[in-house]
Amino acid sequence: MNIVVCVKQVPDTATERKLRSDDNTLDRDAADGVVNELDEYAVEEALKLKEAHGGEVTVLTMGPGKATETIRKALAMGADKAVHLSDDALHGSDALSTSYAMAQALNKVGFDLVVLGSESTDARTGVLAAMLAERLGVAQLTLANKVDVDGTSITIQRITDYGYDRVEATLPAVVSVVEKINEPRYPSFKGIMAAKKKPVETLAIGDASIDPSQVGLAAAWSEVVDFAAAPPRAAGTIVKDEGDGGAKAAEFLASKKFI
Amino acid sequence: MDFTLPESALAVQRGIGGICSRYDLGYWQRCEDDKRWPEEVWDELAKGGWLGLAVPEEHGGGGEGLLELAVATETLSASGAAGGSAFTYVLTPGFGALTIDRHGSARQRAELLPRLATGEVETCFALTEPDAGSNSLAITTSARRDGGDFVVNGQKIWITGVQRATWMLLVTRTVPAAEARPRSHGLTVLLVNVPEAVAAGRLSYRPIPKMGANTTPSNMVFIDDLRVPASKVIGEVDQGVAVLWDILNPERVLLAASALGTAEVALRVAVGYAKEREVFGRPIGANQAISFPLAQVKAKIELARLMIYKAAWCFDRRLPCGTEANIAKLTASQAAWEAADAAFQTHGGMAYSHEYPVARLLTDARIAKVAPVTEELLLNYLATQVLGLPRSF
Repeated sequence: MNIVVCVKQVPDTATERKLRSDDNTLDRDAADGVVNELDEYAVEEALKLKEAHGGEVTVLTMGPGKATETIRKALAMGADKAVHLSDDALHGSDALSTSYAMAQALNKVGFDLVVLGSESTDARTGVLAAMLAERLGVAQLTLANKVDVDGTSITIQRITDYGYDRVEATLPAVVSVVEKINEPRYPSFKGIMAAKKKPVETLAIGDASIDPSQVGLAAAWSEVVDFAAAPPRAAGTIVKDEGDGGAKAAEFLASKKFI
Repeated sequence: MDFTLPESALAVQRGIGGICSRYDLGYWQRCEDDKRWPEEVWDELAKGGWLGLAVPEEHGGGGEGLLELAVATETLSASGAAGGSAFTYVLTPGFGALTIDRHGSARQRAELLPRLATGEVETCFALTEPDAGSNSLAITTSARRDGGDFVVNGQKIWITGVQRATWMLLVTRTVPAAEARPRSHGLTVLLVNVPEAVAAGRLSYRPIPKMGANTTPSNMVFIDDLRVPASKVIGEVDQGVAVLWDILNPERVLLAASALGTAEVALRVAVGYAKEREVFGRPIGANQAISFPLAQVKAKIELARLMIYKAAWCFDRRLPCGTEANIAKLTASQAAWEAADAAFQTHGGMAYSHEYPVARLLTDARIAKVAPVTEELLLNYLATQVLGLPRSF
């Protein structure tokens, strides 16, 4: 089975994240880049599927040069090779144009199954899996906390508010995973050392037949109009208990429509 | 000159750092309080191949050396384990794998190295005796030749990790110290199968209640007419001193690395507190009485680290490394103690509370000044062996 796992480099959630003042896009130099956490679960699931069914795991990432660190991490976990879609023309792409560019790259690379995290910790749109499936004309199986493949049929448990749905499809397909699906492995010593020697193919937009007019900031359908730092947390309300503390607390909760 | 760490050592920092990032100071405090081996971290280290870093690749290891082990020990210690718990890493990857690889017979290497690399088999090292600590050549545990075996009798003390060890690297006298010429002659290092010796009633041990480092018990060991086959000699009979120095120098380097890690975590904790804690309307770290000792510690940490890496570099190239290993150990234990002391002073009275990790770090830093060798002995070595000054003993 030819599995492609999509990973994204995101700014470390433990550091202060910033937008650029010139074009309102993410300032990728202001914070350390780390693998989007949910994508580690996607890599783990891809590796498990390969271990169970054979085949190959290819990492696909779209991002600037610095994203190679993220690729190496996925390769160190055990993926076989990587494709890095990197081109200045892609800067500022929104979810819609990212899905277009990624779909073009996936068509070039070829796949039986695409696995990705259900959202990224930076933009958190959570729409890429659905958009990719639509662009690629294959089944979309999102929010999976369990994946089973049997021949060309694939079944997932899709988490819902009330439990889960069982969703079946025929390969090829796109699957997005949630953090309940597995426990990502730590890269081993040999994995880290071997990752340096694994092939990483870099694609510019022309290599993946990506139309430059459909990507980048100018082609984005959504726009960050303005941004501001989150205001510091205001001081809380202190209720002094003079025998009526319970009632006051209830009044407060009612005023906030909690009860 | 190139100060860049090799890719292998950077991989160790990233890999072990990644594992350890999921275990906070509270985890290590609980291991210490419960006197339990850090199973979770150990299992991850075993799974990732981190225990076999210095085992050759043909025996299933990473094919690296003491430098990578030192970086591993430092990373583990600095993550919060501190010296007391980082010692768990020294027992098998250091004492066991490094020694068997360099001095074991082809058969010993083939049998043991693959299992040491995975952590399936663990080791401990027994040298110190009640009457032979700093003066280790004066040990009296005897190994008498009897046919194809050695018959061993004696006592050891401060033997850490016996409980988990399948094999003990036991240092014995095949020539009594009084008859040995030179005094370093007549030592023989034996591989003793601990569970078998215990089952046969020939070896027993008793844990020593101790001040800290309780994730691994340290023991009194009693050996009574224990038969060890001659095939279990590491290196040559009577020539064990060559093996011994290749255990003791790496031990100095690895315990220097664990002390360095203690210093790093103590400094990190102290700096964090000095930034947050406000007295008289400003963070206490703004006071130079607080900040200068921490800055001093930072300088000492960097110096100790350079010396540790240099000593390991020498050992891996089979160059003499005694001077470097001793200086590394001296500077690292001093850095650890000063860091823990500065962390204590920075925390004021709160350092005395077990809600903060300072007390544990102080305990771990203090033992670094005497184990595996006292600072006085390190200074003696530098004075007599390096500077050529007359001996006092």
